[in-house]
Amino acid sequence: MPAYKLTYFNARGRAEPIRLLFAAAGIKYEDARIEGADWPALKPKTPMGYLPILEVDGTTLCESTAIARFVAKRAGLVGKDDLQQAKADMIVDGMKDILKKLILMVLEKDEIKKEELKTDISEKTLPEFLSKYENLANPSGFFVGDSLSWVDVTFYNLIERVRAMFPGDHLKGKPNLVKVMANVKANPGIAKWVKERPESAF
Amino acid sequence: MPSYKLTYFKHWGRAGVLRLLFAAGGIEFEDVRIEREQWPELKPKTPMGQIPILEVDGTIICQTKAIGRLIAKEAGLAGKTPLEAAQVDMIVDGLSDLQVKIVDFFIEKDEKKKQEKIKEFAEKTLPMFLDTYEKLANSSGHFVGDALTWADVDFFSLMFFLKDHLPNDPLKGHVNLTKVRDNVTSNPGIAAWMEKETSH
Repeated sequence: MPAYKLTYFNARGRAEPIRLLFAAAGIKYEDARIEGADWPALKPKTPMGYLPILEVDGTTLCESTAIARFVAKRAGLVGKDDLQQAKADMIVDGMKDILKKLILMVLEKDEIKKEELKTDISEKTLPEFLSKYENLANPSGFFVGDSLSWVDVTFYNLIERVRAMFPGDHLKGKPNLVKVMANVKANPGIAKWVKERPESAF
Repeated sequence: MPSYKLTYFKHWGRAGVLRLLFAAGGIEFEDVRIEREQWPELKPKTPMGQIPILEVDGTIICQTKAIGRLIAKEAGLAGKTPLEAAQVDMIVDGLSDLQVKIVDFFIEKDEKKKQEKIKEFAEKTLPMFLDTYEKLANSSGHFVGDALTWADVDFFSLMFFLKDHLPNDPLKGHVNLTKVRDNVTSNPGIAAWMEKETSH
């Protein structure tokens, strides 16, 4: 059994989908969380100068989606054949645009611009995204095939992030997506992790 | 072998690398190139309102990297082990981070702002990126292992796209990256494809 060491800040952020996947699969790993002050010394030792990184089998991986896919494969949560895996990849990648907009909004310092971005997200981008994704999920509450995959887990994490920034019942009238959330929460490994994970601001 | 139909606009853009992957793997595919005017009618038929899309035996896949990974797997260019596959994925993801910055100046309509953005990109962003990637490539001119992968092809594709927008060869002084480019262009399938693509 290889040793896995995940390094990130003390936050859910970009590392949380990876942690959720380790939890779902019951795979042990070292969940290393660094302080901001320790980052400058670590940065040049990372492949591309950012976190998260995953050290495994003597290799250091970066890019959170690449790492998540690698862990999902180990966990058997990627889809049963190349085409299903491609469908999974496409649905995961499709979540990046909205995440980018959310991050831009959070980082915006100009209050007026920030409100404009918030309105654009809550009235246009988010509803459009959720409508699209309601159609991509099936009525049993899975995005790919008939069982939990990393797409469902990644989606769950995204919605949790959205809810933290935009309180509200965004999934009202979206039964497939509601089922996806329920399926992910019902996974015993994930349920345990969510209950026990360290508290952090974001 | 499944049947493949790739749909995109005519230009290199996001599909350039996908066509190269088919070429490198010697995989037949229908290379559909649409005019701008045809796009509004096609858009609602795509999974996420975007192209490129790949139709494989009746299923439609969108998102360039999802398509790229599928073709790369078929072509044997996705890495030999799950760990190598993850390394390929990480290199490709880093390239698409750079591509976001390219799109930013590419779509800038204000000409003065556009020139400022190109300058910042050419003098700061790109050199920093290439310094990082020079260390990630090995001296035999590969990003992962000792054979051509999608990571190498994707790198070449982006550099090829950029060459019309930059005054100088950005790979000058980068020994490993120059070797990556050479390895890609000397792949027989890719060499033949590039000959066809660039001769008109």
